[in-house]
Amino acid sequence: MTRNIEFRDVAKSFGAVNALVDFAIRVDEGELVTLLGPSGCGKSTALRVAAGFEICDSGDVLIGGTSVVALPASKRGTGMVFQNYSLFPHLTVHENLEFGMKVRKMSRSQRTARVGELLDLVRLAGLAERYPHQISGGQQQRVALARALAIEPQVLLLDEPLSALDATVRVEVREEIRRIQRTSGIATVFVTHDQEEALAISDRICVMCDGRVEQIATPHVVYRSPATPFVARFVGKVNDLAVEMTAPSRVRLRGHALEFAVPPSEVQSGEARLLIRPEDICVAGSAGGDGLQGRVDGVQFGGATTSLDVAIAGTNHVVRVSDSTRAMQFGIGDAVSLRFDTERVLLTRE
Amino acid sequence: MKISRLSAWFTIGIVAVFYIVPMLAMARFAFQRVPVIKLSWGNVFQKWTLQPLVDSFGATEFQRAASLSVTLAIATALVTIVLLLPTMAFAHLSSPRTRRFIEISAVLPFVVPAIALVVGFAGTFRDTLPILIRSSFGLVPLYVITALPFTHRTLENGLAALDIRTLVNASRSLGASWWRTIAFVIAPNMRASIATASFLAFTVVLGEFTIASLLLKNTLPLYLSYSQGSNPQGTFGLGIVLVVISTVFVAMSNRFGKKVRS
Repeated sequence: MTRNIEFRDVAKSFGAVNALVDFAIRVDEGELVTLLGPSGCGKSTALRVAAGFEICDSGDVLIGGTSVVALPASKRGTGMVFQNYSLFPHLTVHENLEFGMKVRKMSRSQRTARVGELLDLVRLAGLAERYPHQISGGQQQRVALARALAIEPQVLLLDEPLSALDATVRVEVREEIRRIQRTSGIATVFVTHDQEEALAISDRICVMCDGRVEQIATPHVVYRSPATPFVARFVGKVNDLAVEMTAPSRVRLRGHALEFAVPPSEVQSGEARLLIRPEDICVAGSAGGDGLQGRVDGVQFGGATTSLDVAIAGTNHVVRVSDSTRAMQFGIGDAVSLRFDTERVLLTRE
Repeated sequence: MKISRLSAWFTIGIVAVFYIVPMLAMARFAFQRVPVIKLSWGNVFQKWTLQPLVDSFGATEFQRAASLSVTLAIATALVTIVLLLPTMAFAHLSSPRTRRFIEISAVLPFVVPAIALVVGFAGTFRDTLPILIRSSFGLVPLYVITALPFTHRTLENGLAALDIRTLVNASRSLGASWWRTIAFVIAPNMRASIATASFLAFTVVLGEFTIASLLLKNTLPLYLSYSQGSNPQGTFGLGIVLVVISTVFVAMSNRFGKKVRS
């Protein structure tokens, strides 16, 4: 039997609010799929439906090919890690890890052996006799992950497990989760609203909005080829510019004379929005080229990358340009020339 | 700061006088072999004896009444926890409306007089379930209700201190049944609240007179009331012991309560 999970046209509403609308994805064995979206988009609801904490209004959830919607949470065979620290405060790390195995009536020797393996897996072998309040938040989440894996679930469900951690620990635990998930080869659904986290950890990302799936693809595709304007705006930074279509596949910035070609899209005429990522705009130091002329309005040094805010001459457009090379050394007030990588732009109706 | 501290100590002193002076008077009456009319400052330290108390402890009637009261108190504490804890845990997981409903129901015993409770209870069960009226254990449900305002509040505080939703979900996702979750996850994390609620229920039962009297059950408070004529000194001695036990329980509840709050 394959260890996978599939949502088939799942719908769930809370009163007048549709939390999930025809939600359909499949996560295969060994795969980590992230549900990414803003607060209230339904990503945690999807996870809770899979875990059995919520009952869907319609549709089906299959784990290992078998429908589980009629099963209680305790019988679904899912392991879950929660946003809040969920270790049982009255039990030691060792006893927490044993809890699910005791429920399954595993022998003491089996339990002890498995606890040892799990502690090695999460690299916390020396902390077995500590209580949750005696270990750090990051360690608690690693124990929670080990506890979820202890019952050898068919599917691992991670509900924003990093959101309570500080930035440095978050990255550490994120990498640890990915390593452990790869080692165990378990189908994993990871919920987050943090796009950077999603891009870093996922095999595929499912971007959600208002209970619907906007796009499911690899992080690279979601970032480079967003399927909808919502995905472009939500994942990564994007310049959102008002344009006019002068002809099919030709646009000009509103209030600017310069026209340029864009890839064919469903937007053929009239007013539109042009979405382009900061790194898809080239900036040249000397003014007077055939690009868009502008003036540097602000500089943000971000360590690995530097971003400029450039006010385009003759308009009220300000675009953000970013570059990871050390060549971009402009100051506020410098005149610059901008060239859009028009193959990368996305056009959408206003 | 200094004035408020002084006034606090003054208040405590006044309360202590109101509490201790009657207790000392009771103690002199109960444990001094001096006729009441001759009690004075001059013989405060004379002829003290525990014999009246020893006599009372030896009385079969007392032993029966005390044993019944302690049994009822333990049963009340157990039934309270077994019924109330899962109900309140469930209320915490479901809608706030359910929680409010339970909260309002829990304070009703403050406004419903014991006589009304007994009349309703007896009227309902005299014909349908007469064993509840005949058996002394029929008092337990009534005691559970009487103690509800105290026990509910204590358990509510304990539950509010826990992230019960996450703990329950974690336990359920690990395969535990609802009952296992209550017994092995929720209850152990509420030991202090459960102990406090049990002590309070115990104390309420040890002091309850009206319900037992109306249902003609010979509990300890009733024995104390009836035995005043035949053995007044022993009865007052027992009264002091009961007050001391209740005070110890309340102090222990307070100590556990502090633990819950921390």
